[in-house]
Amino acid sequence: MHSTVKAAKTKRSLGARAADVFLSDYFVLYMSLAYVAVLAPFLPVLLAPANLSNVLSNMWPLLVVAVGQTFVLAIAGIDLSQGAVVGLTSVVGAMLIATMADPVVLANAPVWGLVLTESGGPFGQMEWGFLLGIAVMVAVAAAIGAANGASVAVFGMPPFMVTLVGLISVGALAIYLTQSENIRHLPDAYVMLGKGDIASVHLGPKDTPQIPRRQIHSFVTYPMLIAIAVALLAHLLLAKTVFGKWVLAIGVNRKAAELSGVPVRRVVVLVFVISAVCAALAAVLYSARLEAGRPTLGEGNFLLDVIGAVVIGGTSLFGGKAKIVWTVFGVLFFVLLSNTLNLMNLSSFQIDMVKGGVILAAALLDVLRTRLMRERMR
Amino acid sequence: MTRTKLLAAAATAALIGVGSAGGAQAATICFAFQDLETEFWIAGHKAITTTLTEAGHTVIERNANEDANRQFEQVRDCIAQGVDGIILIPQDGESAVTIVAEAQDNDVPIAVFNRPPSDLSRGIVVVADNAAIAEQAVDYLVEEALAAAPAGETLTPLIVVGDLGDPNAVGRKEGFYAAIEKHADRFATPIEVASEWDAATALANLEAAVTANPDIDLLFTSSDFLFPTIRSVLEPRGMWKRRGEEGHVLMGGLDGDATACQLIKEGYVDATGVQDLYFEAESAMDAILAAIEAGEAQPNQVIEDPGFALTAANLGEREMDMWGCVLLSEGFLRN
Amino acid sequence: MSALLRFESLSKAWFGVPAVSDLTLEIAEGAALGLIGQNGAGKSTLMNMIGGVVEPTAGRMLWRGEPYAPARPADATAAGIAFIHQELNLFTNLSVAENLYIDGFPTRLGMIDRRAIRARTEEILARLDLAVSPDTIVGELSPGERQLVEIAKALHNEARLVIFDEPTTSLTPRETQRLFDVIGRLKAQGRTIIYISHILSDVARLCDAIAVLRDGLLVDSGPAEAFDVPRMIRSMIGRDLDGLFPPRTAAPGPTPLLEARGLTQPGVLEDVTVTVHAGEVVGLFGLMGAGRTELARILFGLDPVEAGEIRLDGAPLPAGPRGRIARGLAFVTENRREEGLMMEASIMDNLGLVSIRDFGRGPAGLIDRDALAARAEEARRDLSIKAGDIGRQPVKALSGGNQQKVVIGKWLMSAPRVFILDEPTRGVDVGAKFEIYALIDRIAAAGSGILLISSEIEELMGMADRIVVMSRGETTGALARRDFDRERILRMAFRETAA
Repeated sequence: MHSTVKAAKTKRSLGARAADVFLSDYFVLYMSLAYVAVLAPFLPVLLAPANLSNVLSNMWPLLVVAVGQTFVLAIAGIDLSQGAVVGLTSVVGAMLIATMADPVVLANAPVWGLVLTESGGPFGQMEWGFLLGIAVMVAVAAAIGAANGASVAVFGMPPFMVTLVGLISVGALAIYLTQSENIRHLPDAYVMLGKGDIASVHLGPKDTPQIPRRQIHSFVTYPMLIAIAVALLAHLLLAKTVFGKWVLAIGVNRKAAELSGVPVRRVVVLVFVISAVCAALAAVLYSARLEAGRPTLGEGNFLLDVIGAVVIGGTSLFGGKAKIVWTVFGVLFFVLLSNTLNLMNLSSFQIDMVKGGVILAAALLDVLRTRLMRERMR
Repeated sequence: MTRTKLLAAAATAALIGVGSAGGAQAATICFAFQDLETEFWIAGHKAITTTLTEAGHTVIERNANEDANRQFEQVRDCIAQGVDGIILIPQDGESAVTIVAEAQDNDVPIAVFNRPPSDLSRGIVVVADNAAIAEQAVDYLVEEALAAAPAGETLTPLIVVGDLGDPNAVGRKEGFYAAIEKHADRFATPIEVASEWDAATALANLEAAVTANPDIDLLFTSSDFLFPTIRSVLEPRGMWKRRGEEGHVLMGGLDGDATACQLIKEGYVDATGVQDLYFEAESAMDAILAAIEAGEAQPNQVIEDPGFALTAANLGEREMDMWGCVLLSEGFLRN
Repeated sequence: MSALLRFESLSKAWFGVPAVSDLTLEIAEGAALGLIGQNGAGKSTLMNMIGGVVEPTAGRMLWRGEPYAPARPADATAAGIAFIHQELNLFTNLSVAENLYIDGFPTRLGMIDRRAIRARTEEILARLDLAVSPDTIVGELSPGERQLVEIAKALHNEARLVIFDEPTTSLTPRETQRLFDVIGRLKAQGRTIIYISHILSDVARLCDAIAVLRDGLLVDSGPAEAFDVPRMIRSMIGRDLDGLFPPRTAAPGPTPLLEARGLTQPGVLEDVTVTVHAGEVVGLFGLMGAGRTELARILFGLDPVEAGEIRLDGAPLPAGPRGRIARGLAFVTENRREEGLMMEASIMDNLGLVSIRDFGRGPAGLIDRDALAARAEEARRDLSIKAGDIGRQPVKALSGGNQQKVVIGKWLMSAPRVFILDEPTRGVDVGAKFEIYALIDRIAAAGSGILLISSEIEELMGMADRIVVMSRGETTGALARRDFDRERILRMAFRETAA
């Protein structure tokens, strides 16, 4: 009798512990680890250092964009213009800091002669010119974000509509500026930001005098530092500051926030500015790793990746429920997913279908989690 | 080869490092292409995979769906998987440079074809010689025109030029002029019609040009994709006629797509210059396999594709060398 | 008479706070049971357990002698239990007949058998004496008629037990009378009734037996004859109510705090002048559409005003609510769900919403969590908000009265000078009302001014130092406490006398 009671007790606590894992902030991390553990025996390459190094390097730029999107989703908004901002700012930055340019390719571009010449952009020859370029990229993004935010906050337009228009018009502007050409010849210091190693590792015995280069793997890179710094700052901002509380309050009940003296308009505008600025920082990483300003960056399925990663992390599309850690793990899972699907040699169409399914599953998971949470309240 | 075997092979390759030990007999090749949305790429893709698989090699395919960043990540995934070589159809010339550098920095040989990197100095690069191809096609048109015209008559040529910001368009225009200038005494100054690679622009400009000069003897378009546009201008004016019919304008193009193939067969078009896709694919493959065999990690080489002209005259013998005709024979234009 | 429904040691706890504890009670077949208790006493939880919305944590229910454990609302319907809620569950875009048959249309040859539906619906409507056509769209009916349609649905489903939860809130007196007739008829047909209401005289009149819940416990029950209204109140709040209102502990001071002069906004307000002194409770009375809430919104800076001026402590107020909050204005709106609370957020987040800036440290505004938690905990104790873990429990899990305390609490944490309270006791039960009144007195005694808006004259007469009456956007009079007179106030509200 005594023992049965005890058994029932442990059993319940096991179930409760499973629910704890499910509801924990780290659930998606656990899921990612489990996913790797399940697939690793079938895909030995998955855990190869070269592959892990790839997974990490693919994660950083996406993380920077997703962090920005997290803020917008937190106020029950959505920013569809992030991809276009990535494209535009990559072009704006490149045309300012290019060290030279080819007239055959770019002579038709409206910026030719005005900003960009054969000897590159206005900051192209300065030693720290690339930093000026990045500053302008951030400023341009902030202006776009402010316009988005003002349309939403001041004129009360729906974020979906505003940023959809942003997606189309900002994207078109990016293509117009260079007539869809890419701008090459970026300064080395800038390119370093996209792919520069700070520390690399070689795993295995050193039995030859020279280690083959493909066995040296990037470990600590500039994109890693930049992305981690952005995520960390964003985490502090969202979880630990007055501003973050305001963001979440607007997401839960905008009207109540307004009546309680939350500066709703200012917060909404700032949130869209944050989103766009994150897109600009990601544009630095993307254009640097591809060594060119590209108006078409951020097109296609880019938004699916960004919003998908954030939602998988657990941030609610209905607002008021958002954490940067969730987004970090969501991005990790999403990048792992892409990577493993690639390793399985699936076609890009199959990959997109699976990704779509996973995002849908994440949305379902969110519903289940909310229900479980509600049940616990009872 | 089953999938697991393939994965095992890839894994082994990854573990032992560079796959040079295996030699070229059974290499793993990563074939990264930008998309399969146009007929051109469907043909190119088929040409490569079939040939490589038939030769006993393993092909890992990566479709970037027109996303340069995705292609970059895919090639890095390939490198991580330990492939022996990479064949690349890039999204554009700029990302090609970056990807070639990435592969070479990791000691994986890479060959690029169809769209050259902006910088030809690194990697195996197969480049179509646009000028040579255009010249071959226009040569044929010029011969036909001279043969048909009474001696002493001055003929009026017209060229639809592409976007001159595109080096391809420039090369094609140069080829056209090279052919015409061989008989400069028999030709009036060519009429140039700008298209900016845009069908609507081409339509407007061509209409104006044909209205001003209704007596055109020879027409060359810098790309085959403009033939439907040209037809819509010429047909109402009674200038869209088959070979041998009264009022036929000698017509040529460049690209070799399925529409052009069909028009040549029907007799409306006389010649088209073709980038020899099969030659390009084969050269890229041969070069990459040779590099793998030789253990060369950073082979650099520029291979020129002279192309050829498919004409009404050689249609019978060379038809199947033109990718557009292959697609056509597979029912590409049948709906 | 045998028991139709029996509860045996039924319990349910949320966050460790019991909502219903060890409840044992039975309802005889054919009887009408009145269930009363304050908000949060456990009535809704009990109903949700009967309805299959909530699972008991312990104990069981017996339905006609058989164990009854509904897993979902459909199980309750199938057993023969029907709920008539405050918010009706009808499809307003469908006809009366379609609403009755929504969960299963009879078919003939694969088509909906409209004739059968109509005939059956007509028969049921006749039993309820409801003279509308079965084809009438429900959206065109009055609230009272809609409620009868709900009852018709219960009859159609052959419900043995019909549960009424505050059914008269949105009914006119005539509609209420008709509802009571229908309930009498249901009883005559041998159906069992559970009737839940705050209107105790109705309960006394309709029911055969009465059960009183307090803090999740069954504290009193018995035949209705044994209950009079004072006994009901006593059982509900656990003590005798000397008065419904606490005594005012301090007199208002002489310093004017909030002064509004000549406020005019065409179509809304016309030359309205109101002053609130330190420590004063000013009652604002008016009929529907008198402009009370509009005045409150203008005072708080939410709506535009064409002419007039508003001063606080002698200095004019800035435009917009944020500047006015900073100067010490607080506004508890009449709509706490939509405008007052973040229902999904925790109690602590709600309490901290207004004053959060005070807890920000450094230029980045990093929140001092310990200080915030300590201050919120203090507010919880101060306001005696009944909650488990205020850092995790969402506001939506609280009863109406406790939710209202959270709304007041979030303002108290910013120590405001003037409170505007718009219908602060709406939807709040007797006991919690008393607590809110005591709170109002405390705030006033501490020197803040209060503008108390209410449509209950008794409430204003009980609490206010002065009552200002509005009618159609104008102030039509003001009375000091010693002159309070129900009739005079109403006359001013109806504009039968000049001020």
